[in-house]
Amino acid sequence: MSFILRRISTTKTGKQIIRDAALPGDTISLGRDSGNAIHVADLAVNPHHATIASADGRTVRVTALEGLGFDLNGRTLDTADIDSAAGAELRFGGHRLTITREGEDIILLVERIDELSHSSKDVDEARAFSLAGTMPGKRVGAWTFAILVLLAFLVGPIWAWHSYRGVDERPQGYHADQAWLSGPLSSAHANLKKDCQACHVEPFVAVTDKACIGCHTGEHKAMSASHAGAPTAMLLAARAPPGLGGKLLEGFANAFNKPQGRCVGCHTEHEGAGPMAATPQAFCADCHTGMAARLAQRGFKAGVADASDFGTDHPDFRPLVRATPGANPVRAAAGTRVLDHDGLKFPHDLHLQTGGGVARMAASFRGQFGFGQKLECENCHRPEADGVRIAPVKMERDCAMCHSLAFETVGGVTRTLRHGEPDQVVADLYAYYRSTPPTRPLQLGGMARRRPGQYAEGQIYNIYFRETALRPSRAQDAVRAVFSKGGACYDCHTIFAPQAGNNWRVMAVHQTPRFLEKGWFDHAAHKETQCADCHTSATGSKAASDLLVPGLAQCRTCHVGGSGARLASAKVETATNSPCAMCHEYHGDGDKPWAPARQRRKNVTAITDGPPRGVYAVREITGLERRDLYDATWRAPVSSPGRGGG
Amino acid sequence: MATLFRRRRAAATQTERVRERRHEGFLRHANFRWAKISGGLCLLVIISYALIDVSPRPNGGSWYGYTLGTIGALLILWLTALGYRKRRMTSDFWSLKAWTSAHVYLGLSLIVIGTWHTGFQLGWNVHTLAWALMILVILSGLYGVAVYALLPQALSNNREQMTQMQMLEAIRAFDRQLHAAAQPLPPGEAAPVLASLEQDPFAGGIRARLTGRYHNRATAAARAALAEAVGGDAEARAKVVALLTQKEAALARLREHLRLRALLEIWLYVHVPLTFALIAALSAHIISVFFYW
Repeated sequence: MSFILRRISTTKTGKQIIRDAALPGDTISLGRDSGNAIHVADLAVNPHHATIASADGRTVRVTALEGLGFDLNGRTLDTADIDSAAGAELRFGGHRLTITREGEDIILLVERIDELSHSSKDVDEARAFSLAGTMPGKRVGAWTFAILVLLAFLVGPIWAWHSYRGVDERPQGYHADQAWLSGPLSSAHANLKKDCQACHVEPFVAVTDKACIGCHTGEHKAMSASHAGAPTAMLLAARAPPGLGGKLLEGFANAFNKPQGRCVGCHTEHEGAGPMAATPQAFCADCHTGMAARLAQRGFKAGVADASDFGTDHPDFRPLVRATPGANPVRAAAGTRVLDHDGLKFPHDLHLQTGGGVARMAASFRGQFGFGQKLECENCHRPEADGVRIAPVKMERDCAMCHSLAFETVGGVTRTLRHGEPDQVVADLYAYYRSTPPTRPLQLGGMARRRPGQYAEGQIYNIYFRETALRPSRAQDAVRAVFSKGGACYDCHTIFAPQAGNNWRVMAVHQTPRFLEKGWFDHAAHKETQCADCHTSATGSKAASDLLVPGLAQCRTCHVGGSGARLASAKVETATNSPCAMCHEYHGDGDKPWAPARQRRKNVTAITDGPPRGVYAVREITGLERRDLYDATWRAPVSSPGRGGG
Repeated sequence: MATLFRRRRAAATQTERVRERRHEGFLRHANFRWAKISGGLCLLVIISYALIDVSPRPNGGSWYGYTLGTIGALLILWLTALGYRKRRMTSDFWSLKAWTSAHVYLGLSLIVIGTWHTGFQLGWNVHTLAWALMILVILSGLYGVAVYALLPQALSNNREQMTQMQMLEAIRAFDRQLHAAAQPLPPGEAAPVLASLEQDPFAGGIRARLTGRYHNRATAAARAALAEAVGGDAEARAKVVALLTQKEAALARLREHLRLRALLEIWLYVHVPLTFALIAALSAHIISVFFYW
């Protein structure tokens, strides 16, 4: 038996040359040191790594010497007995030792199987020097990201929509289609944030009015999409021809099934949190500028004149008036002198004089009924409870302070004629004259002796008893007097004398509660302004038929157009930008035009020229209690210390 | 605009010569033709946005918004097509340089088109996601343009006229010499040398690649260990230490090369995947608008 060391070298052509060398002795040493019988030039092998010995010539014992073992069948061992007939492969560092048997000889084949160093390995230049080996591939990234985005933002939302289809209200919590929210909802709809399907019911179908009136029932439903009672065809005819951009949008809307004239056309959503934005003036002006001509072209008759901006282009007011006494109220033609016959006789000039009888009488009541030195508007006129309009004048409340209807005092209680019921007045007067004797002369009293002749004609007894006998028939005279010139009724009312079975009649009084029906005028919003600042003709008005409602020009002294436009002729004192929606509303539900809270009139007094009368009055001393039309609160200091005086 | 495209053959040939002499890149292509077109487009968008009063307020849903959105979406698809175009060898149509120039400048104009399309209404939703991805893609592209302009010089300086494989071959040569020279060393000293040999010169994650700072530097460790060792075969050890020092220098050059290449390439790993994420988000954005119409 002998050990034979076999070496195989490969030529450049790939041919293998096998060289065998017999190793003397029974024990062969293996190591990196050149003194070893098997010299392995491998840094991973110890200088004296192992011995290989065979006692019987068949079994080979391999023993590691310096701590580092060797690998046999995947396990690291220090000692191994190997049947050379079966053969084995041992591994020392980067080398492989194959033990086989050929005849009597044990062949030891040593080969380098690992590369000398890591860098010696073959590399793919394009891959090794680029990031390709370090980063996940671009294609992988592209697919991963794209799929993730599609799952989260397309599949998820559609799934959310699908799973709540037909459900009235979605449960709280996150729904994937919230990621589609294009902008915050207005505060009124904020609670629908998680429930896209509340409005977007069907996919690829634009939000319908049906979705709106699903919640907005009642008056909302009634007014939805209606404007001035006009049919839709008329509304569409009124629209201004769209510009290039508008045509583009229209074409887009047509192409993608987005019908016109829906609630959401004006009430745009997803425009930001807070109150829903008021529909801008342009939405009105788009149609109402040059509308009459367009409507006429399509065979419609315009009910209103053209208007594009309050400051520059707005028709004159056409107040609702009764052109003749007793006539039905109709809107006055524009540009005419307007008379409104309400059935009363009331000279405003007389009542508002600073001197004269009325003022004197008012001064005599000073301190009562809120009267001052003279009569003021608010002494007789009062606002409605909501402050928007001025209530009709009530005789008992607003006139009777001076215009007394008293005719008798019974035990300290004053009896008055019944206002508003002429028949009752007549009856009361008849009853009065029937039940009361004439005032008894003093001569008839006492215990003085009565002498003959005292009953003679022309004497006191005769006069008195004749009067007493005639007393009931005097009532007729009194009634006539009350209804005739100089009488209590006649001063204020137009009286019709009794005719053919009719009794005395008083012309019906119609106090128009709202003269300007198309617009909305709110007195409360103007409460810091003096009545006379707007109702300028009141002090000069001699007849009740004068309409004292201010005209357009008067409004324009404060109100300018939506963006501040004004006529060159207008003398504007304090400009208030007045878009259409300040006075007009689209749907016409009879209430005041809606405005978002931040655009509403603030309760301040900054725009008045000066404080109202009475603000400087020292109430503690005079005890003067004045009643103003409104209780306006003053924010700014009313007097400066410099002008205070003693 | 018309003059930008008008060219006569003789003049064109002359222009080509000038370009070749100057080595005109995609940025200067055709005397900044696409920069001018793109700048004009941006100016047009900004001015018309200021002049056109869309109601009720500017957003993607106005006619102007739809117009910009359509232009933007088509532009994004066309810009993406560069990836396809660059793989196709063509002689006709546009040169790849012209295409790249248009890609860069029109891509930049998308910042204006996309942002003005939003009407500056941004939020946490798929619509803004698409916008944000677009901006990220554009920014990564900007980075790419910047490094393409700045880094090749540094790359060339570092190479010192060696090819990549020559750099690697140098390391292999040092490894072979190290292996031979370390044979006489005792096991304790051979181990660090072996560690140096067994370390992959291309090892290290993306962070190491980008910064050039490697934590596990076996060659430097081996040099330090052998420099401190005493006794044994001092002569052999000194030889090994000298070889290790040289290998370290070769490794440093390779790693700097890898760092510069990583900086040159990294943006594409953002640009390309995010482009596809953008196209996905854009699809979701467009479909969502029509789905909840």
